[in-house]
Amino acid sequence: MTSVEVFDPALCCDSGVCGADVDQDLVTFSAEFGYATKQGATIQRYNLAQQPIEFATNPVVAGFLQRSGPQSLPLTLVDGQIALAGRYPRRAEIAGWCGLTEPAALPLLATGCCGGGGSC
Amino acid sequence: MLTMNNDSKQTATHLLEDIPPFVFFTGKGGVGKTSLSCAVAVRLARQGQHVLLVSTDPASNIGQVFDQAIGPVSTAVTGVQGLWAVEIDPQTAAIGYRERIVGPVRSTLPDDVIASIEEQLSGACTTEIAAFDEFTGLLTDPKITDAYDHVIFDTAPTGHTIRLLQLPGAWSGFIDTNPAGASCLGPLAGLDKQRRRYADAVTTLSDPTRTRLVLVARPQSSSLTEAARTHVELAATGLNQQYLVINGVLPVQASADPLAAAVRNREQAALTAMPDSLTALPIDQIPLKGFNLVGIDALNRLFDDDDAADDAADAGSADFAVDLPGLSALVDEIADTGHGLVMMMGKGGVGKTTIAAAVAVALAERGLPVHLTTTDPAAHLTETLAGSLPTLRVSRIDPHAESAAYSEHILATKGKDLDAQGRAALEEDLRSPCTEEIAVFQAFSRKIREARTAFVVMDTAPTGHTLLLLDATGSYHRDVTRHTVPGQRVTTPMMQLQDPDRTKVIIVTLPETTPVLEAARLQDDLQRAGITPWAWVINNSLAAAHTTAPLLRQRAAHELTEIRAVLDRHANRIALVPLQTQEPIGIQRLSELTNHTNCLAAPHIW
Repeated sequence: MTSVEVFDPALCCDSGVCGADVDQDLVTFSAEFGYATKQGATIQRYNLAQQPIEFATNPVVAGFLQRSGPQSLPLTLVDGQIALAGRYPRRAEIAGWCGLTEPAALPLLATGCCGGGGSC
Repeated sequence: MLTMNNDSKQTATHLLEDIPPFVFFTGKGGVGKTSLSCAVAVRLARQGQHVLLVSTDPASNIGQVFDQAIGPVSTAVTGVQGLWAVEIDPQTAAIGYRERIVGPVRSTLPDDVIASIEEQLSGACTTEIAAFDEFTGLLTDPKITDAYDHVIFDTAPTGHTIRLLQLPGAWSGFIDTNPAGASCLGPLAGLDKQRRRYADAVTTLSDPTRTRLVLVARPQSSSLTEAARTHVELAATGLNQQYLVINGVLPVQASADPLAAAVRNREQAALTAMPDSLTALPIDQIPLKGFNLVGIDALNRLFDDDDAADDAADAGSADFAVDLPGLSALVDEIADTGHGLVMMMGKGGVGKTTIAAAVAVALAERGLPVHLTTTDPAAHLTETLAGSLPTLRVSRIDPHAESAAYSEHILATKGKDLDAQGRAALEEDLRSPCTEEIAVFQAFSRKIREARTAFVVMDTAPTGHTLLLLDATGSYHRDVTRHTVPGQRVTTPMMQLQDPDRTKVIIVTLPETTPVLEAARLQDDLQRAGITPWAWVINNSLAAAHTTAPLLRQRAAHELTEIRAVLDRHANRIALVPLQTQEPIGIQRLSELTNHTNCLAAPHIW
């Protein structure tokens, strides 16, 4: 089964509301993550502030951090390869990677500066 | 029922009755939690019980109290059969916790990555969780519970921490499949192996036959309001057996001189107006003592109502000859700059609002344009000031309304598409203590801009840690700098706060041990965020006030150590503000507060 791993920047909490300015993409992704997990997707999430060892021991992630720095997180790996960086994956993307069946029935939630088109 | 014990030979009769195995003392810094917990522990041990006294005060002075080194391993207290003590330093615990996370990757991840992790783990939440982690062991370890009849803690977890531990999602199978998926567990996520222990600890805390929570307050309205808030918050988490101790009440027989009489009246008025939620609790009053609570004899006397004032040995023997200015010197310097932001920082209850108002009035009296923005809910301040000074404008921010509006806004916008589970998790995140600080700061930020042409005086501000997080992860600063055309100068709120020409941060504290230590820690926090406090104000000083009351003169003598510490170790500039006979409310009294000349030469004290 395809595995998806999302590497968060150092966060206070997963929705980011208790530490800083609220990032819509982060709130949305936290919910998407819960949804995908319930659908049986193999998806993992790692917070730099809590599990840095996962960042350090994965050569792809460690190399990415060396080149691009922590400000370029989040980073998404699909089967160990970089699939996305600098923003969180959307529901349709996760569904596509994981072969989930019902993405269209649910609202697509990407907002913020990237808009729905991903032209950030 | 408010119970007065002033006439009995012993105070604290409720507190000392049927003491359960675990007792927690809670209250703001400087209310006397450590003294009370030491005194209760000594008393129980003297009755033949086996007692463990636990301090989590980062500047624990129980070693000093018992005149022996204690430290992180439980140590028998010399001279008190059956009493052991242990000091857990939450800062050290937090450093240890942080190191467990960062240590293994320090050599492999780049420095900027390490820095971002460390900053995220330097907040109050990490410290609190790390301390809680340490003392859950004491609540649940059979070796402890079998060996001791009582464990006395000089601190207690907050409602937010307990709720996090109670969140069903936190400890269900959810966490097994999603190591970081539980909402806002923050630093706890790394400790999920110990969840059984946390669950047991929470059960113990909410069992009234095993746990008593003692709210400690000073006889002041702000302290009592704070106690009421803690009471309500902790009662909601199931900690139902709560007692209230009002510590340091000035006895009637000690109120002979005008200042002492005024203090006595003010305290009695605050007690009469105590919040309703507290009046139903068992309440004890402990009279103010002239002596420092050091040594076993002194602790034994804490609960004796011996109308105190052991011979007022002349308190004026100190060789403290430094000439400390009042507020007016600070105001002169601020006025010279023509405009700018002046922020008062410090723990609640130290008088930030009063000092902010006094500075604003003094600037306005010089004809300068001033905007005083306050979180003080007391409408009389606004009423008294309104229209009285032509160049002074006052606006008020209600912290509760701001955080409610902020939470509602987040839920209605960012949270609008969440399912029930996601929404519940987001709501709990929003109950974090950080939320109020952020909400208030956002309200303040809207006013910062004005400081380019006028003076803006703020009575409160977020900690350095929060500022750093706002800056590091907030999109505002990043967006602004990204979209800036080269050559065009843009100033974000954070840049303005870091610029000493635009912003002056004044740390307000009281001349007492714990408040000074807390203020020093706040200063460290700010310096991490690139903000260097401009001055310190020591408020409510008895040493700077005229008093002939022996009890107050004894307290004044004890202040000197703290004032000297601020002067020698912490402050670039200092102003000493005397305790006032009348509440400093209204233009005239605020003006007097600034223009008061400190009576440092007064021979009866100095």
